[in-house]
Amino acid sequence: MDYLVAVLLPQLLHGLVFGAALGLLALGLTVIFGLLGVMNFAHGELYMLGAYAGIAVIGLTHSFWAALVVAPLAVGAIGALTEVTTLRPLYRREPLYGLILTFGLALVFREGARQIWGGDMRRILPPFTGSTPLLGMTYPNYRLFLLAAASVLLLAIWLFFTRTRAGIVVRAAVQDAEMLDGLGVNVPRVFTLTFAGSAALAALAGLLLAPIFTVYPQMGVEMILLAFIVVILGGMGSMGGSVVAAFVIGLAQSLLTLWMNPQRVAIAIFAIMIVVLIVRPRGFFGREGVLE
Amino acid sequence: MSRALTWRAVLVWAALAALPALPFMSKFYLLLAFDALLFGAIAMSLDLLMGYTGLVSFGHAAFFGLGAYATAVLLERGIVSLWVCLLFAVLVVGLYALVVSYFSTARRGIYFALLTLIFAEVVYTFFRYTQTFGGSDGIQGLPAPSLAPGFAIDTPLRNYYLVLVYLGLAYLVCRILVTAHFGRVLVAIRENEDRARFLGYNVQRYKMAVCMISALITGLGGALYPGRSAFATPDLMLWTVSGELIIMVMIGGLGTLVGPVIGGAFFVLLQEKVSSYVDWYFIVIGLVLIFIVLFMPRGLLGIRGLLGGRRWRATA
Amino acid sequence: MARDGVVLEIDSVSKSIGALAALSSVSLAVQAGQIFSVIGPNGAGKSTLFNVVSGLHVPTRGRIRFRGRDIGGLEPEQINRLGVAKTFQITNIFPEISVFENVRVAAQSRVRESGRLASLWRLPDVEGAASELLQAFGLAARREESAENLSHGEQRYLEICLALATEPTLLLLDEPTAGMTPGETREATALIRRIATARGLTVLLIEHDMSVVMGISDRIAVLHFGEKIAEGAPEQIRNDPNVIEAYLGPPDA
Repeated sequence: MDYLVAVLLPQLLHGLVFGAALGLLALGLTVIFGLLGVMNFAHGELYMLGAYAGIAVIGLTHSFWAALVVAPLAVGAIGALTEVTTLRPLYRREPLYGLILTFGLALVFREGARQIWGGDMRRILPPFTGSTPLLGMTYPNYRLFLLAAASVLLLAIWLFFTRTRAGIVVRAAVQDAEMLDGLGVNVPRVFTLTFAGSAALAALAGLLLAPIFTVYPQMGVEMILLAFIVVILGGMGSMGGSVVAAFVIGLAQSLLTLWMNPQRVAIAIFAIMIVVLIVRPRGFFGREGVLE
Repeated sequence: MSRALTWRAVLVWAALAALPALPFMSKFYLLLAFDALLFGAIAMSLDLLMGYTGLVSFGHAAFFGLGAYATAVLLERGIVSLWVCLLFAVLVVGLYALVVSYFSTARRGIYFALLTLIFAEVVYTFFRYTQTFGGSDGIQGLPAPSLAPGFAIDTPLRNYYLVLVYLGLAYLVCRILVTAHFGRVLVAIRENEDRARFLGYNVQRYKMAVCMISALITGLGGALYPGRSAFATPDLMLWTVSGELIIMVMIGGLGTLVGPVIGGAFFVLLQEKVSSYVDWYFIVIGLVLIFIVLFMPRGLLGIRGLLGGRRWRATA
Repeated sequence: MARDGVVLEIDSVSKSIGALAALSSVSLAVQAGQIFSVIGPNGAGKSTLFNVVSGLHVPTRGRIRFRGRDIGGLEPEQINRLGVAKTFQITNIFPEISVFENVRVAAQSRVRESGRLASLWRLPDVEGAASELLQAFGLAARREESAENLSHGEQRYLEICLALATEPTLLLLDEPTAGMTPGETREATALIRRIATARGLTVLLIEHDMSVVMGISDRIAVLHFGEKIAEGAPEQIRNDPNVIEAYLGPPDA
């Protein structure tokens, strides 16, 4: 029982926290892919830039909260700029070009960050410390905040997509991009805003997770690989599927770390993905009839 | 055979064979030429996937690295017959490629990009952290492989001719494929995968086939590498190497076969010159990729123009 | 084997997509050599019916039999190989290759080497078959053009060529005249009729244009909200009160 509370429970909560952040990341990928037809290989770098932008803002203002507002906006702007200048010309072309382009962007962002901030690991201190007694153990306050923040965000996104007109339009378009045209919507603007939004989300996830993990230029690479696995498992085009799969992977990662070293965990997660693909090739919620 | 081989190709190959006779071809330049031709051939095999079938492999370096490790593991144990090494590499890479291609081709094209990346990362992680294979140092200090007892491929000159034969054979295979029924179906899959299915094509089978063929050609190239380098390290399988392979294909021009060979050679030579600027190297690579995609998607070197014809759309 | 000359038998097929009952227990039988039209207002389930027959969807309930053989749940390429070819409502061709190359690769799917090891090096000769089809549809003059450069009407014809190149027994035409001018529509209708007769094809047709439907069909089925509400010869359907109500709404009380 002690083991359960002292070791397993915190690990479960870690998994939920990580899963929520992963969900934000994967959601951005899914929406962008569904809407724009582009798999954004640079998404992990937007996540990373969020953390570094946070470091920059904190350096200037000494305020984590200021960073929480400014960093996503800044990265969102970078996202918008990127979309307009580099991605927009590619929508009419074969999808292969979009993949290669975002791959190139990832390289530029990653190495650019390394040039600007150096390759060393950085730390962002959590804005508050201390732990709270919870279910028989104590859990770090910041992580509780993180869990709450990520959940609120996911809820807000869910509300956006189900309750607002803009959200419903975008969600329908994720399923079927052709119908957007027929609705008289300013399509280029929707694309840019959505891309900027997903970039801001990724940045927010990066900044929120930064006090827990260290900040370094490669931090986006691991996350994007996990995000890809999440998207594959959740079923392409299914936003709900992405979130569910994110929590599953987050929990799996967290629990497996109790028994294996990090490299084996990565391989185990990969093995899980293979098993799911064998048993259910379409992923958890993939749609039939899309010739997946 | 005539549909696969042009006089121009034969002449170029003959010229390459005569290259070592030139006065300035020192050992250094011979090794550089080796790399150029090796990666040129690998880029050409990647073009089968990218240019003809429209599938981007972000994990092609894994096929290369596995081939290298296959050879290295045998050489390390004193099994120096090149033929045995190549056979073993075919088995290892073939098995891996079978698994990868099965899962990555089951659904539409984007899954291929994602899954090849993920698989390659797992392979890299496995070799990087497994001490049996030397961990991050890899397997070093390898003896040279032998064609026959007493005839070792232990000089840059011999390595060069070995890779030249490899390039020639790989080119033949690719040309035959591309001008056959198979090649046309690949193009159809690239143009409209769904339609191809509704016309009766088992698209997954074709995608798996081209993936495996490309993987095997690349793997064989990897198998030749330890003969030149005397080592095999996990760095050969880095995703950045996969990215470099993609650049090679893009530079030369998608769907031309010959273009990527030139693109590969060009890139290797360029890399040699630029290697002193190691710091900015990856940024330059990224920018080059972006630039090519946006402004010169048909290839930086304008190979299409040089060689004439509608190569990009050619099915035969 | 075919039973009493029935080529396609749709037996109480239902299809639910999510919570929506797209098809509810639809049954019909198409005889060999018939041109059978399926009509109905938007959202009636016509495309879903085609998708179920061609393999994109699996029927939730019921059976689909092609020449006596159950095809529900088979993959699209398997169904095509059995002899069912479909055209798409939104033109679905191979854009960057030439018109000729489009039809040629479609014809190639029927050669013996297709899908076998020999396809890696053999080059089958289907040039004649491809040229013939282009000729029949008046596209011979455009054969070297990139398919994406064709006019809309020409692309609709190319759609049909692609399907026919696979030597089907049953042709599923999904609104073949969509987007055509009235003149083009008349021509297309006559052409389809001619070719179907010449090749002994059975045709299942979705159409919105009543003139096409009435002019070309041997038999018509009417779908409404996923159910079949009428079936019969064109004359019967034209005068059927249920059909009129479905299209025009209930009569003024």
